[in-house]
Amino acid sequence: MAIPTGHALATALVTGLLLGGLFTVTALGLSLIFGVLRLINLVHGELIVLGAYLSYILLTHASIDPLLGLLVIVPVMFLIGLPLQRILLTPLMGKGAEAPLLTTFGLSIIAQNLFILGFSGDTQALHASYANASLSVAGIDVPQIYAISFGFALVLTAATHLFLKRTAVGCEIRASAEDAGAAEMLGVNVSRVYSLTYGLGAAFAAIGGVLVGLAFSFTPTTGPGYLLTGFAVVVLGGLGSLWGTLLAGLLLGVVESVGAAFWGDGYRDFIGLAAFLIILAIRPRGLFGRAE
Amino acid sequence: MHEVFAATPARLRAARLVSAAGLVALAIALATMPAFASDYTLLVCFKIFKYAALAQAWNLLAGYGGLVSLGSAAFIGIGAYTTAKLTIATGVPLIPAMALGGVTAAIFAALVSPALFRLRGLYFVIATLALASAAQIWMVNWNGLGGASGLYLTVSAPTTRGVYYMSLVIMAAATVLVAGVLRTRLGISLRAVRDNEDAAQEMGLWPFRTKLWAFGLSAAVMGVVGGLQAARLSVIEPYGSFSLQWTIDIVNIAIIGGLGTVSGPLVGAVFVVWLGERLADYPELHVAITGALLILVIRFAPYGLWGSLLRLKGETIWSRLRRRS
Amino acid sequence: MSAYPEPTGPLLETAGLSKHYGGVRAVDELDLEIRTGETLGVIGPNGAGKSTLIGLLSGAIRPSAGVIRFEGEDVTGLPSHRRARLGIGRTHQIPQPFGRMSVLDNLMLGRLYSAGSGYREARRESLGILERTGLAPFAGTLAGELTLLRLKRLELARALALRPRLLLLDEIGAGLVESELAELIDLIKGLRSEVDSILVVEHVIDLIRECSDRVVVLDWGKMLIDGEPEEVLADAKVTAVYLGTGTTQALAPARAAEAASEPAKPLLAARGVTAAYGSFRALHDVSLHVYPGEIVTLLGANGAGKTTTARVLSGMLAPTGGEIVFKGRRIDGLRPHSIVRLGVAHCMEGRRIFSDLTAEENLTLAGRTARSAAERDARLTAVYDLFPVLKKRRGSPGANLSGGQQQMLALGRALMAGPELVIFDEISLGLAPVVVDSLYEALAELNAHGVAMLVIEQNVERGLALADRAYVLEKGVVALSGRPDEIRGDPRLRALYVGEAKGES
Repeated sequence: MAIPTGHALATALVTGLLLGGLFTVTALGLSLIFGVLRLINLVHGELIVLGAYLSYILLTHASIDPLLGLLVIVPVMFLIGLPLQRILLTPLMGKGAEAPLLTTFGLSIIAQNLFILGFSGDTQALHASYANASLSVAGIDVPQIYAISFGFALVLTAATHLFLKRTAVGCEIRASAEDAGAAEMLGVNVSRVYSLTYGLGAAFAAIGGVLVGLAFSFTPTTGPGYLLTGFAVVVLGGLGSLWGTLLAGLLLGVVESVGAAFWGDGYRDFIGLAAFLIILAIRPRGLFGRAE
Repeated sequence: MHEVFAATPARLRAARLVSAAGLVALAIALATMPAFASDYTLLVCFKIFKYAALAQAWNLLAGYGGLVSLGSAAFIGIGAYTTAKLTIATGVPLIPAMALGGVTAAIFAALVSPALFRLRGLYFVIATLALASAAQIWMVNWNGLGGASGLYLTVSAPTTRGVYYMSLVIMAAATVLVAGVLRTRLGISLRAVRDNEDAAQEMGLWPFRTKLWAFGLSAAVMGVVGGLQAARLSVIEPYGSFSLQWTIDIVNIAIIGGLGTVSGPLVGAVFVVWLGERLADYPELHVAITGALLILVIRFAPYGLWGSLLRLKGETIWSRLRRRS
Repeated sequence: MSAYPEPTGPLLETAGLSKHYGGVRAVDELDLEIRTGETLGVIGPNGAGKSTLIGLLSGAIRPSAGVIRFEGEDVTGLPSHRRARLGIGRTHQIPQPFGRMSVLDNLMLGRLYSAGSGYREARRESLGILERTGLAPFAGTLAGELTLLRLKRLELARALALRPRLLLLDEIGAGLVESELAELIDLIKGLRSEVDSILVVEHVIDLIRECSDRVVVLDWGKMLIDGEPEEVLADAKVTAVYLGTGTTQALAPARAAEAASEPAKPLLAARGVTAAYGSFRALHDVSLHVYPGEIVTLLGANGAGKTTTARVLSGMLAPTGGEIVFKGRRIDGLRPHSIVRLGVAHCMEGRRIFSDLTAEENLTLAGRTARSAAERDARLTAVYDLFPVLKKRRGSPGANLSGGQQQMLALGRALMAGPELVIFDEISLGLAPVVVDSLYEALAELNAHGVAMLVIEQNVERGLALADRAYVLEKGVVALSGRPDEIRGDPRLRALYVGEAKGES
């Protein structure tokens, strides 16, 4: 372990905060699905990676910039998510919590291997000029893409919050999340709400994937790592709390970066996971969660 | 469910004799296999036994206890590293080192239990996944035990025969252990906790202790298998020993075979390994197909392939044998 | 009863025992005493706190205040598994077997833990208990496959396996038919020799009458009266508590006895409906009609099947048999959101307000079935006219509304669907009489606009005062039906709620 200099620490704090934005984006979809469907979507990591791969295809075959490509990828992923939920997961409702969980587990395995078959196991990355550039924030150099991710995190969280609070569909989603039986009794087609939510979750995952591809690299098996990070964020932030997800994401980013400043970059993920486990042990329902 | 046989006492006795004889025959066959089977066959059997033991241990926890753990890789890795380090550092012979690998894994399980079992349901599942992942990252980075490059064992690797017998013994022991536990107070407690934890508590049972025992035993078996794997490979490193692939394979085998039965994991192991051998040239396809099979089994045959088969046959000799009361 | 030895000092006593859930006091400063050697019966209307009491005594529920002493020792802080080992055993209202284990194994647990028996001994003893409770032939059957009566016996057997000093029976008589009940009563009577004391919480009055040495009546979580069974059951106060006479001040104005000719076609017709929860048969044969513009009240003791009927009509629960026709169209088997769109709204038991949404959001959500925004707004205005206080609190999250306001919101929600028929399930539960009065006034006003209603009400007087016609359910079938004055005068009504006094037919 090495004590970092003041500047290194400050860099870690700022970088971590912005990186936390990326974590939030990767966790938003998971948060939505967990909060509304009470499902741990174990294939979420692969949805992130799928988003990255789709962007890669657009980039290499049509020279479409990854962020621009989101305009295409988001709807596509939404449309992929809809039937996934309807066909595979709806029939399992009422058969216990493990069945859908393990089904998404199976999907995850299938997806990872289809990726290998389709794209080979090579490491890929999305190259864009702005991705590699550095930004100077109060004398501290941070990767520009982190700042972009942070921006995405704020915008997406706010947009989702507005969507849930201000639109009629958002109202249906919130009602179904709280009491699906009562919602159905009032005329809400809960089944359709669930499919919609899952599609949204998949779309958000794709956004996260594109950002991950721009900021780092990805392989067919990168998924589980982000699933865990996403989960840590969701659980820490608490079930059903969007702003909790945002805050937890930022917190995790800071914890990881500061920890890396002390213990080296190799332990970065370990520190994040350890913090997650310790907080869960002390507060089983997360930082901002409602008691279930 | 119609009766296949009318179970008169005479027929029951006959059936018991037949099944006992069958088991004896199987045991003899397995014991003498090295004499007439090729090295390749023995290694396939090694794979089957190894996974059967692991799936059996997972079955104890998940099938009978209702605790779905995705952290198996941690215990396998701990067993592997303990075995390796002991043989290197203290010259302890292989078999005791493997046993101690199991013990270490169980100790680790006990240490994390108080915090882990405060979590219910899906939170528990994710926490186990996080635990295994954290363990792997730690081992990659910490140079105290070789870091990313790992450890080289100093004992000579066992022969193919040796590996075959050791895995056979471990599998048999795991099966006997699980079958045995089910007849004890722990077995009943475990299933009660699975079926209705609150009602179980009102019967005088302390759920935490039950879960702790099951978790510890399960971890111990996995640790021993990890030790065997280390011996076989002669060199271990964290990416392999703590790999998520272990967990994936175990879950697949246990569920496809059938949770909640003692024979399920065995059948599952045979099936999945066989499938793997047939698709040896297409590893990704193999895993993808296994995943698809997992989904189909969960949807259409929730008791696993073997479990569903047992249920279809209804009141068969087997189930009458089992209900001796 | 005097054949048994006189009861001695208290085996269990509570002092100031209370349990609050938010603003609701389920159990309120209860001082209870269970003497050694006695069987104590506990009765009371729905919401009186009976099941909560059992949970508090067994350790499943932690008290908000008060002390519980078992054999003189303070056990208030002990978790349920420690109390089980001390000798407090309980059964559950809805059987909670270890479904995937054999009946024998279900019992083994208790023997292995409380008696500390070895395995063989435990087996022998468990088989013995199974003999006594009539379950011996099912020792090897999986518990989840048993029928209801046997599941209840299993609950009992399992509790006995603990060799308890105190046995807590939680509504063990619910859902049973005559012959099954008689068997159960004999079983319980026979237990006096092996269990020190028994606490019987019940709705089935016959069981209480036959088995208890003493009876305690709970109301609103407090003890109302205690004494010998015959005295208590004949007491006018107890009758009032169950039937509602004398507790309501300003009744809704009695409906004018209109000799209205009923239109030929009913708006809603249910014929021979049966329904079950798993193996628990809740409805055996329910047939009823609601004509357009009518108010029909559905009455019945607790467990009679009122809420189940409501659920079946609105689609929340699929019936196992019979048919339900609304405006000439079969609706049994349709999903709730489709039925709502056809014109049947259900104001559910327990209100089920979305606490996260504001009052107005709760209403507009329910108004999604409207064909245009204008129609929805019109409905919203109508609801606000009916309940002005909701308009004032329109921006408050549902959780912040008082009980009465939440009930109004629930009513308003049902109305936002623009229904022709609304099912109101126990809207008076947990509310002060004055508040309930205003709710019923709203119902009357609503009905004046032509909305038909099926009102489920526990308080008989209130229900009859409002209705054009009424049905009284008993154990899943319609026992009485007719106009309010007919039912009020029927001698069988009292029996359906408070049981038959000795000497009557």
